[in-house]
Amino acid sequence: MATVTASTPRSLPTHLLRHRAVHKILLIALAAAVLVPLANAQWASGSWPAALTVDLTKPLGSASDWIIDNRDSHPLFLYFFGYLSNAVVISVHAVYVVLLGAGWAGVTALGALVAWRVAGLRLALGTAAAFLACGLLGMWVPTMQTLALMVVAVLASVLVGALLGLAAGLSPRMDKILRPVLDTMQVMPAYAYLLPVVLVFGMGVPAAVLATVVYAAPPMARLTALGLQGADKGVLEAVESLGTTARQRLLTARIPLARKELMLGLNQTIMMALSMAVIASVIGAGGLGDRVYQALASVDVGAALAAGIPIVLLAVVLDRVTGAAGAVDDSAEDAGRAAWAYALAGAVVVAVAGRLLGRLDWPDAWTLNIAEPVNRAVDWMTAHLYSGVPVIGGTADWAAHFTTWILDPVRDGLQALPWWSVLLVVATLSWLIGTWRTALTAVLAMAAIGVLGVWTPALDTLSQVLAAVAVTLVLGFATAVAAARSDRFDRMLRPVLDVFQTMPQFVYLIPVVALFGVGRAPAAAAAVVYALPAVVRITTQGLRQVDPAAMESSHSLGATSWQQLRQVQLPLARPALLLAVNQGVVLVLAVVVIGGLVGGGALGYDTVFGLAQGDLATGLVAGAAIVCLGLMLDRVTQPTERRTGKGA
Amino acid sequence: MSTTATMEKPPTTDNPVFSVDGLWKVFGPKADLVPEDAELAALDPADLRERTGCTAAVRDVSFDVRKGEVFVVMGLSGSGKSTLVRCLTRLIEPTAGTICIDGEDVRAMDKSRLRELRRHRAAMVFQHFGLLPHRTVLDNVAYGLEVQGVGKAERRARAAEVVVKVGLEGMEQRKPSQLSGGQQQRVGLARALAVDPQVLLFDEPFSALDPLIRRDMQEEVVRLHREEGRTMVFITHDLSEALKLGDRIALMRDGKVVQLGTPEEIVGSPADGYVREFVRDVPREQVMTVRRAMQPGGCAGPTHPGALAPDAVVADAIKVVAERGGPACVVERGRCLGVVDHERLLGVVAGTQLRDGSPAPRSSEGASGASGTELRKEAV
Repeated sequence: MATVTASTPRSLPTHLLRHRAVHKILLIALAAAVLVPLANAQWASGSWPAALTVDLTKPLGSASDWIIDNRDSHPLFLYFFGYLSNAVVISVHAVYVVLLGAGWAGVTALGALVAWRVAGLRLALGTAAAFLACGLLGMWVPTMQTLALMVVAVLASVLVGALLGLAAGLSPRMDKILRPVLDTMQVMPAYAYLLPVVLVFGMGVPAAVLATVVYAAPPMARLTALGLQGADKGVLEAVESLGTTARQRLLTARIPLARKELMLGLNQTIMMALSMAVIASVIGAGGLGDRVYQALASVDVGAALAAGIPIVLLAVVLDRVTGAAGAVDDSAEDAGRAAWAYALAGAVVVAVAGRLLGRLDWPDAWTLNIAEPVNRAVDWMTAHLYSGVPVIGGTADWAAHFTTWILDPVRDGLQALPWWSVLLVVATLSWLIGTWRTALTAVLAMAAIGVLGVWTPALDTLSQVLAAVAVTLVLGFATAVAAARSDRFDRMLRPVLDVFQTMPQFVYLIPVVALFGVGRAPAAAAAVVYALPAVVRITTQGLRQVDPAAMESSHSLGATSWQQLRQVQLPLARPALLLAVNQGVVLVLAVVVIGGLVGGGALGYDTVFGLAQGDLATGLVAGAAIVCLGLMLDRVTQPTERRTGKGA
Repeated sequence: MSTTATMEKPPTTDNPVFSVDGLWKVFGPKADLVPEDAELAALDPADLRERTGCTAAVRDVSFDVRKGEVFVVMGLSGSGKSTLVRCLTRLIEPTAGTICIDGEDVRAMDKSRLRELRRHRAAMVFQHFGLLPHRTVLDNVAYGLEVQGVGKAERRARAAEVVVKVGLEGMEQRKPSQLSGGQQQRVGLARALAVDPQVLLFDEPFSALDPLIRRDMQEEVVRLHREEGRTMVFITHDLSEALKLGDRIALMRDGKVVQLGTPEEIVGSPADGYVREFVRDVPREQVMTVRRAMQPGGCAGPTHPGALAPDAVVADAIKVVAERGGPACVVERGRCLGVVDHERLLGVVAGTQLRDGSPAPRSSEGASGASGTELRKEAV
């Protein structure tokens, strides 16, 4: 613990912080001195004491049995969930039929024309190319399945999110209630949302859509609320002075003023929905995600890639088009509805033409089978790159080394620690960085994991997270420092980051499986790749936003660039660095958990196993533990005192 | 400038449009207790804050705004003037006191009546314009009419007329972000004018503008007032703006009105040291009229040499007296009211002479020294 204090206070308010930090440490030490011997005497064991666990398997098992038994008879299911589920199935199916009915030419034309109206010619061409590529890869039907599911899920998410956001944006009381909930939902791994909906709806499209809605609605709600609250007070006052009713104010001023945030919300919701729609293949979403899932299960990298590329293309196109829609300036002239009418008419014409020509389905002759060549390439890599490459070793060797030298020691170390000392470390870290409230939440979340009886696998997952975060931070900070110091490097890096940040978590598994095989190391590698762009971006931004006057003055005093970095940039960018750590941890956890699909083991595996075997109790407990782990990791790394938001 | 403005102003009548009596606005916990409690009400701002945690932005303010006049509320930032003008249409809810518009109690109005007041009777122009960024100039101007439920064609036609009136012809289809600050404020002004309100309220409308554009806009307001004779309540922190535009000026400090009067009264007979300090650098000859400067009593002859109107400012009288080389008469409807000579005029410029002809009281801070410098400055 002493090392912790020595290393943390290294910035401007050092005196104050040290002062407060010392107080906190002393308090914790005092509490520990009293509690630890007691706890140790009562439940002396290295791992979480069995006496303190509550076995939820039986009640959860019987609950899920009850639900399964009553799904067709109980009024709650018949008259509520049943209708909900039917409505989802019908609407997804309807959209799917429409998409198939429009034919590949019609869908491509519609996509391209909408992109043209919203974002210009370049993106229109890009959109058309992306759709054609999906067909070319032989993935037209799964792409349409995913798209149909997305359309329904996004519409529902936007509706739910906008309503919640409206409530929070207009009523401060509602905002107070919703904000912590939405904040917490934001940091939860997508995976954790799957099980509860499966419990109620069973595997299938309804569960997939609802999980997607639950996952994708929060950003819409947050941004809607933000936009409504951030409206220019002067404009609102002027509008009120003209005698508007509350409704007029909302429709003519508040909502139009929040347009940017609303479009950003739409963009984020679409991206999150895509990400989730792909992951939801685990609970029967079908479509592209399912193809990836199946292919990964049989380690068929070629097939996984063929389904993964359309996902990436969809993600990039959707992100760019909706992003461009949000970026349209207020000052731009409205080109009017005529152009839209032309665009839609054009799409209809193409669709009808395709229909008349009998070219509805993507012609088989036009598909390009990339699975085989890719698999050959992977085989070659397995043969030549996996191991035995002179001097540098092979990728599999690296993975093995990473596992034996880093993952194993960290995991074994964590699991060997007495349970109370883990709680103590969590408490100390989170209190030093945040408030006593965040510390309490973090400790309770960690303890809940023990109580759920999944202490050991949770620590396994935690070890993967810690190792991956460490790698991410080292790589991310180094890249960010380079990008912050060289404009050229920054310009080169930016488009790469843009693409990487839009991709759904799931597709990161494909290349790492190709490179490293299966196991814990590839899961960690996928997590690193997924979290890296965000960390680099936040850090670069933080370093670049350092007050130019401070930089100039240190420059004028003759500081070397190393001194400048160490003494000016890093200390001043401290909030950004902390945020980068927080984001890194949250993102890494999200992927490490998904890594259960490719041999990551631990909690992620338990969840998949539970789903696959219909053993919902195991899955649910693991899912709950993931939630707790996410909560704990977020709180431990969240510098709440310096943020405007409330504590836990 | 002010000469023409004051001389050609439409006549004001004595019917008050706004009648404000004992108005209080207190921010903070249990704010409504402060005005009722005589002891708390008498505290100065710092003590009040310490005792109750409340800030009194407007303290026991009373005034009437007469029909057709430009009523200026002037004060430095934090004096409560912006809060005061917002209380008039209850954009900020007053804590105590009464506000009447045309004899109707504003504080007793229900929601729909209040909306009616804001829609038709009082329109406001804001310091930061408050335009809707997603609408064109024309639709911004028409917004007030849209809120009233006027049909699209009619409101656009009416808005187009007002756009011309404020000199924005040809910019109807631009968005606010494409306009300069001065143009944006013209849109704000047009939006207020479009609803044809009984009273125009201005909240420091020109503070955010460059000096030259500010002068243009001030002249625009003078012109509009001359043409339409609309009642205006004008908030400003700029003394020269207040003197230029105001028929009457209420000078506020710490939420209280310290003096209410015509520009001439404020400059000529400051109520206290604060006001005197405030008006110290005002060129008196531009504000004071010969009615004040003259030696009362008619001249002997029937010719009335010089023949100045009583509303003429001292600067004009100086010209006449200098050209004649002797005293000039002040004449109203063919009757001689008094005589001004160079001595009395100089006395006004120096600030040493008051209405009754006695020397101005000297304040202990050495007002005479200040006046002395000023005299020299003026003479150069």
